[in-house]
Amino acid sequence: MSSAAGTRLEKRGVGLKLYALLIFIFLYLPLIVVIVFSFSPTKTIVGMSGVTTKWYKELMQDTELLKAVLHSFEVGISAVIIALLFGTSGAFFITKVRFPGKGVLRALVMLPFVLPGIIMGLTLLIFIKNIKIPLSMLTILMGHVSFTTPIVMFQVSARIQRMGPNFQHAAQDLGATPFKTFWYVTLPMIRTALIGAALLAFTVSFDEIVISYFLTGTWMTLPVYLYGMLRFGLSPKVYAVSALILVFSLSLILLMTRYIGRSAEEFKVRR
Amino acid sequence: MVTKKSRFDNPRSYTKGIPIVLWLLFLVVVPLIFTFAMSFYRSEGLVLEKSFNLENYKLFFTDSVYPRVLFKSFRMALGVSLLSIAMAYPIAYVASFKMVRGKNLLFMMCIIPLWVSYLVRIIAWRSILGNRGLINSALMIIGLIEEPLRIFLYNKFAIIVTLTYICIPFVFIPVYTSLEKIPRNILNAANDLGANEIHTFVNVVLPLSLPGLITGFIFSFIIALGDYIIPLQLGGTQGIMFGNLIWSQFGFAFNWPFGAALGFVLFIISVTILGLAAKFGSTEGGFLSE
Repeated sequence: MSSAAGTRLEKRGVGLKLYALLIFIFLYLPLIVVIVFSFSPTKTIVGMSGVTTKWYKELMQDTELLKAVLHSFEVGISAVIIALLFGTSGAFFITKVRFPGKGVLRALVMLPFVLPGIIMGLTLLIFIKNIKIPLSMLTILMGHVSFTTPIVMFQVSARIQRMGPNFQHAAQDLGATPFKTFWYVTLPMIRTALIGAALLAFTVSFDEIVISYFLTGTWMTLPVYLYGMLRFGLSPKVYAVSALILVFSLSLILLMTRYIGRSAEEFKVRR
Repeated sequence: MVTKKSRFDNPRSYTKGIPIVLWLLFLVVVPLIFTFAMSFYRSEGLVLEKSFNLENYKLFFTDSVYPRVLFKSFRMALGVSLLSIAMAYPIAYVASFKMVRGKNLLFMMCIIPLWVSYLVRIIAWRSILGNRGLINSALMIIGLIEEPLRIFLYNKFAIIVTLTYICIPFVFIPVYTSLEKIPRNILNAANDLGANEIHTFVNVVLPLSLPGLITGFIFSFIIALGDYIIPLQLGGTQGIMFGNLIWSQFGFAFNWPFGAALGFVLFIISVTILGLAAKFGSTEGGFLSE
């Protein structure tokens, strides 16, 4: 092959696309492996003779596991509701009110999301030990509210910034009270951002382990329980739980793109 | 009402900020202060001696184990970040410049792994690299080896692969965002002036995408530096990283004051690095904004 042909190929990006394809295999192979392993009758994937769903049936008998699933939903939903309250009010504060130290506040709110989870975990652990709260659902919830609030706040403040103040001014000029302006104008405009942020925050909460691991006593969420199962090695049951978590996360993500993705499209049109 | 002279609003409107400031105080600032205070305490067995002394920090700097592990974690984080860039930048480039159709799909495909359970991804890599894992099984079937190789799991290699896997979306998102912001007519101009794709890339695209690249680099560096679960799960004895040292102070070593001090060291390092990101990187990482 001559070098001229080589550069022509490069222009169309065939080499690059091939490289990208390899990376996609790297990204998705592990996820596929987990799902395939979960249907294997034996521990190994190679020489897999047939397909079984017996591990899934076994999961349904595991009351401790089912309890952990329930706990994860309890923590996730509570954390999302609290984060919506803190995050949305914070978003309005940071976008609508001019006050000194805004940059500092913005940076500090980001911290729980950008710092290594181990720092959030250990500072919260030291804090709750000092104020004598026993390790419980409450302590895990505190951890989860710490990182779900920035998610909501930055999603919502991005939306508020994009829509500008004109609609609110128009409503007020037409005689709407601040409450009516919020209820009939602002809230519908940030609705999809709220739903998207809530789904994103729930997904992160449902999968979180690094911070939760510090704050967990005997009341366990699903990832912490699954981590405990790993102490006895990789069993087909571990794969089955993993596969279910994987499918659940993927469904949440797909649902999320309906809200977050669509607003990204609008943004492009406006530009 | 719209035209206000003052730079700041009437303090009465600050009430809106009360919830977020309370959240910040109780879940971020006060816990950090407690941690800082505890890092000066001493632990005598199970009793906590609440006095002010610098023993913990002295131990950190004088016992060569701790700076050595920190340095090892730095090197590993650097390697992971560079590898993540090598893998994420080209796909961001392809997604931004080479795709006509399926651009959004490609974008979604790259960030989906980010939101898939961290623990599940760790389990996946254990199952690929393990003794009876995918790689060993495949090698045995094609007859290259007779016995499973133990070189894949419980070493630095396994940690690096898994951390890189975790970090790729964190590099991809800011790089893709900065590539998308490059006006396409600049590329046409470079092309008209006779630059080929490589010249255009080196002289135009790469410099303009640098803020996103720096942000991605720093995000993956911090993730790799602070992680403790991946080294625990895949690192074996070679895999004791700085995060594990911190974690063990709250676990079996049971020396919370020393753990607090180590945690505070990591906090200072992370905040310094994040400050650099704010200065040189793109302002929006693209994770939290839409």
